[in-house]
Amino acid sequence: MKKYWSIFQITLINSLAYPGELVGRSLMIIPFMWIFYQLWKVTFSAAGADVISGLTLRDTLWYLMLAETIELGRPPIARTMSENVKDGSIAYILNKPYDFLLYQFSTAMGETIFRAMLNAVFGGLTVWWLVGAPNHPEGFLIALPAIFGAWVLHFCINAMIGLSAFVVEDVSAFTWIYQKLAFIFGGMLIPLDFYPQWLQTLAKFLPFSSAIYGPSRLFVTPTAEFFVSVMSLQLAWIFVLTILLAFVYRRGLTQLTVNGG
Amino acid sequence: MKELKFLTAIWKTNLQSAMEYRAAFLTQVIGMLANNFIYFAIWIIFFDRFKDVRGWGVNDMYVTFGVLSSAFGLVSLLFGNAFNLSDIIAKGRLDYYLSLPRPVLLHTIASRTIASGMGDFLYGFISYGLSGYFTWDGVLRFVLATLLAATVFAAFLILTQSLAFWFGMMTNFSNLVLNAMLTFGIYPITLFDSYAKLILFTIIPAAFMGALPAEFIRAFSWTTLGQLCSAQSASSHWRSSPSTLGLRRYESGSAIQTRSKFDNKREPDLKTRPCSRVT
Repeated sequence: MKKYWSIFQITLINSLAYPGELVGRSLMIIPFMWIFYQLWKVTFSAAGADVISGLTLRDTLWYLMLAETIELGRPPIARTMSENVKDGSIAYILNKPYDFLLYQFSTAMGETIFRAMLNAVFGGLTVWWLVGAPNHPEGFLIALPAIFGAWVLHFCINAMIGLSAFVVEDVSAFTWIYQKLAFIFGGMLIPLDFYPQWLQTLAKFLPFSSAIYGPSRLFVTPTAEFFVSVMSLQLAWIFVLTILLAFVYRRGLTQLTVNGG
Repeated sequence: MKELKFLTAIWKTNLQSAMEYRAAFLTQVIGMLANNFIYFAIWIIFFDRFKDVRGWGVNDMYVTFGVLSSAFGLVSLLFGNAFNLSDIIAKGRLDYYLSLPRPVLLHTIASRTIASGMGDFLYGFISYGLSGYFTWDGVLRFVLATLLAATVFAAFLILTQSLAFWFGMMTNFSNLVLNAMLTFGIYPITLFDSYAKLILFTIIPAAFMGALPAEFIRAFSWTTLGQLCSAQSASSHWRSSPSTLGLRRYESGSAIQTRSKFDNKREPDLKTRPCSRVT
């Protein structure tokens, strides 16, 4: 595991090599949070209620801030893997003395940490300025394991999409569709609590909700009961998707055609 | 007329190049159509629960999203390099276009087609068809509004990306303003107060890409048409100025420039697009 830790550290340090780019990329969360504020302020006002489905306007905004942080923080693994296949550099990665998937995971996590931190800082400051401090600041610490689990889930699904490049080379259509499914079933733009009951039940069972809704809702409702519920569902999905990913990887290797290099 | 002939020839070549990988082209088009349908489901869920936002309902969203999507798609198809003009400038890749006897800006931005733009373009018409506002004269207004919105959008892209002549690498800034333009363009304009609206009609002219064209499509009005035409005319006037001024500052690279058929397959890095994301 030492070599993967080193890969993680190198990528982490590399991500700081261009601080301007890191900050510039993270600023994107500011207009998103501002427009969310406009939308939900008007919606709460039109509904004439301070609380909708157990969430206040402040809860909703902090929920969305964390959902955005998770989404904007994750690197485009599928696209990177697809590029590796297209330009032939996959040949150099595959014959190195490390496991391909663990290498990808280490680099993905290395890229994620500072990116997500800065998104949380800029997003948090914006939301704080718009609606005030979160009702449960300790919720962030309680949600941390679930945030990490969310990135593992995102990695598993994105790596599977990336591995499909072994067969189809261009995976952009799959990444768009995955992103949109995550938006809908993960409660990325609208908390799942606001959905019709039947859709809530369906969405809360899928892995997308464990990757976005679970950690974000845990942040605004940090109860022990909810923590156990979020973590157990998340771990179950991580277990299933990891096995599936290992299987897809082994199958993919037999289909791979290397384009020069 | 001479330029139009030149553009037609470039677009024909781009299309042939994209169609060389027919399966990839179709995957991108169908993938983008599916992507937009799935994305719009979020708005259907929202309006199913909350009915309207200050008088703005799901039908209005269909039209707004539709015209913005078609305008975005049209620019992606015809002027794909407008999305990465800043990279081209910063990396010294303008050399290739400078050495040829054609208008540099026009040649550069028209030299790439983004295949998924076809999906966005077609989706816009479907979205309008589903809006409940469909009429045959409305289709004509939709086409006109799309053309005007696309002109404003292309001009905005060129303006912001041309800042690379002065500030070098502008990828993050370009993505930021592009995401802002698309995000603000899609959301109901009734959300915003007068100060925000002032920004949306000037600095980030998202209203000319979403709300205003949608208003014109729903019901013909000389006032709205006049506003759209003024925006189009102003943007056409301003779009080439920074590029012309910036060319004086351009420093040539020493790299050997080649254009590859794969140039047409690169996607803009968007978290937004009507398209690839929007909050």
